Amino acid sequence: MNDEILTVKNLHTSFMTGAGEVKAVDGVSFSVKRGEVLGIVGESGSGKSASMLSVMGLAGENARVWAERTAFKGKELTPETVKALRGKNIAMIFQDPMTSLNPVLTVGYQLRESLRRHNWQGDIHARCVDVLERVGIVPAEERLKQYPHEFSGGQRQRIMIAMAIICNPDLLIADEPTTALDVTVQAQILGLLTELRKASGMSMILITHDLGVIAGEADRVLVMYGGKIMEEGTRREIFYAPAHPYTKGLLRSVPNPERPSERLIPIEGQPPDLLNPPKGCPYVKRCPQAMRICLEHKPEAKVLSGTHKTSCFLEVKE
Amino acid sequence: MTMLEVQNLSKYFAVPAGVVHSVEDVSFSVERGETLGLVGESGCGKTTTGRTIIRIYEPTAGKIIFDGQDITSLTPREMLPFRKRMQMIFQDPYASLNPRMTVGDIVREPMVIHGIPKDEHSDRVAHLLRLVGLNSEQAGRYPHEFSGGQRQRIGIARALAVEPELIICDEPISALDVSIQAQIVNMLEDLQKSLGLTYIFIAHDLSMVRHISSRVAVMYLGRIVELAESGELYTNPKHPYTVSLLSSIPIPDPDKSDSREHIPLQGEIPSALNPPSGCAFRTRCPKARPECAALNAVLRDTGNGHLCACPFV
Repeated sequence: MNDEILTVKNLHTSFMTGAGEVKAVDGVSFSVKRGEVLGIVGESGSGKSASMLSVMGLAGENARVWAERTAFKGKELTPETVKALRGKNIAMIFQDPMTSLNPVLTVGYQLRESLRRHNWQGDIHARCVDVLERVGIVPAEERLKQYPHEFSGGQRQRIMIAMAIICNPDLLIADEPTTALDVTVQAQILGLLTELRKASGMSMILITHDLGVIAGEADRVLVMYGGKIMEEGTRREIFYAPAHPYTKGLLRSVPNPERPSERLIPIEGQPPDLLNPPKGCPYVKRCPQAMRICLEHKPEAKVLSGTHKTSCFLEVKE
Repeated sequence: MTMLEVQNLSKYFAVPAGVVHSVEDVSFSVERGETLGLVGESGCGKTTTGRTIIRIYEPTAGKIIFDGQDITSLTPREMLPFRKRMQMIFQDPYASLNPRMTVGDIVREPMVIHGIPKDEHSDRVAHLLRLVGLNSEQAGRYPHEFSGGQRQRIGIARALAVEPELIICDEPISALDVSIQAQIVNMLEDLQKSLGLTYIFIAHDLSMVRHISSRVAVMYLGRIVELAESGELYTNPKHPYTVSLLSSIPIPDPDKSDSREHIPLQGEIPSALNPPSGCAFRTRCPKARPECAALNAVLRDTGNGHLCACPFV
């Protein structure tokens, strides 16, 4: 149960833009174990998607990616091996199901394509019918012949999930899979993902900005801000014993279900400018507990328990 | 005192495939100084309702009564003084500000349109920018120089420029990061208190709507299915759709999230081109019965002003 599916050590990603170098990911390390759901929570520009795209070799032409180590099931990842694993052993789903599907090809064509590409041994048509039924798109035989525009947003996300699981991946990276969907559809899709994971034992990285989704789905959580991991812990550690001032601030800024009309406590200020990042901790300008050292030095991850780490200079109470 | 009364409002759109029933026989009132939340999923008609109220869209049927006056069929010229009294804040702080205008000009534009004396403009712009937590020196800058949260502040300053009484907030925080949402919500609450504003708050984030609203109306397929005081609606939902909707909200608390019961909705929302007969929710309702196909699902008071369109609860 303890074997690592994905290992990432000290990942750095910069995007070269007209305005200069944008440091999107700055020294990120984490691992995903077999069967677990790793939640990554953070706001726009926190580096949560950029980290994943970098690991998958999809960060784009203008990206500079460097890492001490990236490995899949203990084997080092290279640009060639990543390409072979992508779509087969590691699958991804994205926020917008409309732009991720090709509008001029039938759903069946797009499903068959990924099986052929990865040399599926077995009946291709039967496999397509099977996955489409498993994600609840019926009657599958008929619907394989339809085009993406003939489906609703929720159904398109189901089709994306069908494409992702069609080769039985070990790891599914879901990048804001329900952000574009309504809450009742979101609940359906999250339920479907849980069901599929339980049946196949696949691991999942769930990227979201929604603390509620994280609380319901993740086993462990990474909290990212300004390209760095601020805090890492089990879901209970993050929600019931948050250690980093940013995690605490984030949890306080959403309405409390017990006291819904109580005034909110926002995090003041604006997110950091990644073209010109702060020298020390990325959160320093918004942190109510910032000290002088935070301006000058980047905090190292401090171990609080076997599962709980925080990157903060504040003394941690026992 | 009633600020706004909407009576049997309908708005249909003709499209090549037929007629879309976006808003169907919607009635509610908004008291001066209160916040009425309007919630529901995409396509339920909440935004169309907001836009029809300020007559961006012409209503197909029904009446809009603003501060005691029927404004349903006023000409654009007659409507102008009313437009000054009701303003709108939009969802997308990137698309709703003209990128080629300075922030000062954006906030000044409504003053020009509504004939506020020119010598007052600069002072007012500076005052408004400070009111929304920006710096009056920033008036010469362009929207792209600001973050999403700051742009939403600019949009709010523009809405406040002509001293409106009613503001329709259409998903004002959906495009913002979590840490910024709370800043904007607190600011809207402070402005409401200091300026005596009335809000219609349209959103799909149900926990934020509960936080900010005094009463909440739930819409489904163009109709209001339930309307009640906010605490009452969330703790004692009656309509099967509201029950399902509320049970789908993710809760940022692991233990509560694990222990609560989720009542999933089956199937897909029907097309507004051809809505079901009788109760529009019956095709997905876990409690549907044969009678639902023929009944007239109007809102009725179930006690203490808690209105519900389902007769079987």
